[in-house]
Amino acid sequence: MKTKILKKEDLKSLLKEAVKEWDVYVPQKNMNNDLWFEALPKEGLGLDQAVGNIVLDDADTVISPKDIFFPQLESCFEFSAGSIRETVESSPKLLFGVRACDLKGILFADDFYKRNFQDKYYLSRIKNRFIVVKGCIKPPRVTCFCVSAKTGPFADAGYDLQLVESLDAYFVEVGSRKGEEFIKKHERFFKDPSNDVNEIIPQIKLKASESVELKVDFQKALELMAQDNFIPEENYKRIGERCIYCGGCLYVCPTCTCFNVFDNVKDKEGLRMRNWDACVFEGYTRETSGHNPRKEKWLRASRRYEHKLKYDYMVTGVSGCVGCGRCLASCPVDIGISKFIQEITEKRKII
Amino acid sequence: MKNEYIPYPAIIEEIRGEALDTKTFRLRFKDKKIAEAFTYQQGQFMEVSVLGFGEAPISITSSPSRPGFLELTIRAAGMVTKAIHSLNTGGCVYLRGPYGNAFPFEEIKGKNIYFIAGGIGLAPLRSLINLVFDHRKDFKHIKILYGSKSADELCFKNELELWKKIPDTEVWLTVDRPCDGWGCRIGVVTELWKDTHINSKNAVSIVCGPPIMMKFVIAKLTESGFADKDIIMTLERYMKCGIGKCGHCNIGEKFICMDGPVFTFEQVKKLPHKEGIF
Repeated sequence: MKTKILKKEDLKSLLKEAVKEWDVYVPQKNMNNDLWFEALPKEGLGLDQAVGNIVLDDADTVISPKDIFFPQLESCFEFSAGSIRETVESSPKLLFGVRACDLKGILFADDFYKRNFQDKYYLSRIKNRFIVVKGCIKPPRVTCFCVSAKTGPFADAGYDLQLVESLDAYFVEVGSRKGEEFIKKHERFFKDPSNDVNEIIPQIKLKASESVELKVDFQKALELMAQDNFIPEENYKRIGERCIYCGGCLYVCPTCTCFNVFDNVKDKEGLRMRNWDACVFEGYTRETSGHNPRKEKWLRASRRYEHKLKYDYMVTGVSGCVGCGRCLASCPVDIGISKFIQEITEKRKII
Repeated sequence: MKNEYIPYPAIIEEIRGEALDTKTFRLRFKDKKIAEAFTYQQGQFMEVSVLGFGEAPISITSSPSRPGFLELTIRAAGMVTKAIHSLNTGGCVYLRGPYGNAFPFEEIKGKNIYFIAGGIGLAPLRSLINLVFDHRKDFKHIKILYGSKSADELCFKNELELWKKIPDTEVWLTVDRPCDGWGCRIGVVTELWKDTHINSKNAVSIVCGPPIMMKFVIAKLTESGFADKDIIMTLERYMKCGIGKCGHCNIGEKFICMDGPVFTFEQVKKLPHKEGIF
């Protein structure tokens, strides 16, 4: 299907129509002016208010939308009197305004949860999913380095629709059959653009790429990390001494998938729960005996960087870093993957 | 889609005290169909739940050559294992699995086998030991070298006596702290090298024990001429899901739960060693 045009002024009406069929997740400003991917209420005043809080352009959500499919805390099953009832959620989800780097993160997690044993909780949540990417015209963060990571600011594939912003309208690129069906279903909002669209869109995308100022030698970093013991222990020890092991960088990371499992009991009923875990926590690898192979801080620092830039790449051919820049933006002590990459590729002390 | 995280009820048919804080639980799935369809391989592990307390990975100690039941030898150490220990015969736990890879079996036929264990490390080896004994004629000489902190902490005491009586089989014991009447060696398990000749010719060694014990045993085996590929071990890491998702048991690009727990020393050497594998 050819590229369409969606007027900005029609956006709210379109989403109000879509919400009848889908749970629509879209970046909304909360009372602190922070942006979060939140589901729109289904109807009424709540819907009108929520639609008013939508921010699509230059949207900078605090965390990636990964928590829509992999919530920070979720129930796996309920148990009472010896019987177990699984708790699986599978509502149809439309994500509107996903950044290209976050799309890569979602696709990375999809692949991970499908590999070997299938994770039913995650896969049920993504079973009926529609993704509208909103490419970034300018980087929402100074820490963005998607151009270096080759993950943005626009997606090449993997989306159902992709919005390319242009003044008072969006060019709408169609990436899947589901995307075509969506446009047909809501055709009154989608018009045919003028003939010169094939020239305008590449120009917009090029300009957007050029606006990403932070550049690192990402490919070189992956190649260096692939060598055995390339990084001297001293580097990790220095980073390990600065890191405060809060886990913030992992919570905001689009590709972090680790979780803890525990039971929550009240009287004779209970829930088996899972929640996000972080490999930088000391308890992450501590065994019952007290033995802890990653007790020393620097080992946890090295695990973090080597998992993202070495082992993920080794196993899947895709790096575990999508260049979103959230780790550096959220770090209380100014450490992030882009700085780590600069340090190893430029051979100078940055962190 | 199968939900791999859902465990199924199993009844405790028998409990045997092994050592001070260690018991062997004989289990059978409550659902007849599940019980009949259940199979496993030597060296694999189960995820065991006591609802309300949580879930823990436990290696299977029974042999696949003796079907119809499942045995897990468990030391009361953490929240879940203590909860299991509080249960009686007829009690119920919840199981899922089996998970992980297996000890080689066909590949080691025709060889001399050295089983070397420390403490509760004998539990996973016992699965292969009894499988080997159930096919005794397929194997050459068998030596079992077993050590623990004290005589009280030796597991499978009755079976150790039975194994001694099997032709072409030796069982050598050692403890760190002897009690009155202890007739065997005193010291760590590598001290047993003084009692019996360890010959790497046409031999494989299967090792499991605490990290420090593994380290010294492997050094000693290498000294005795064992090739890296002929030193086979089962590794342990803090583990939650058992199916390569939760991330806890990662070493390098490997998951102990999926790529292991059984590795050759040749494979272990390729893992990043800065974390101290043993």
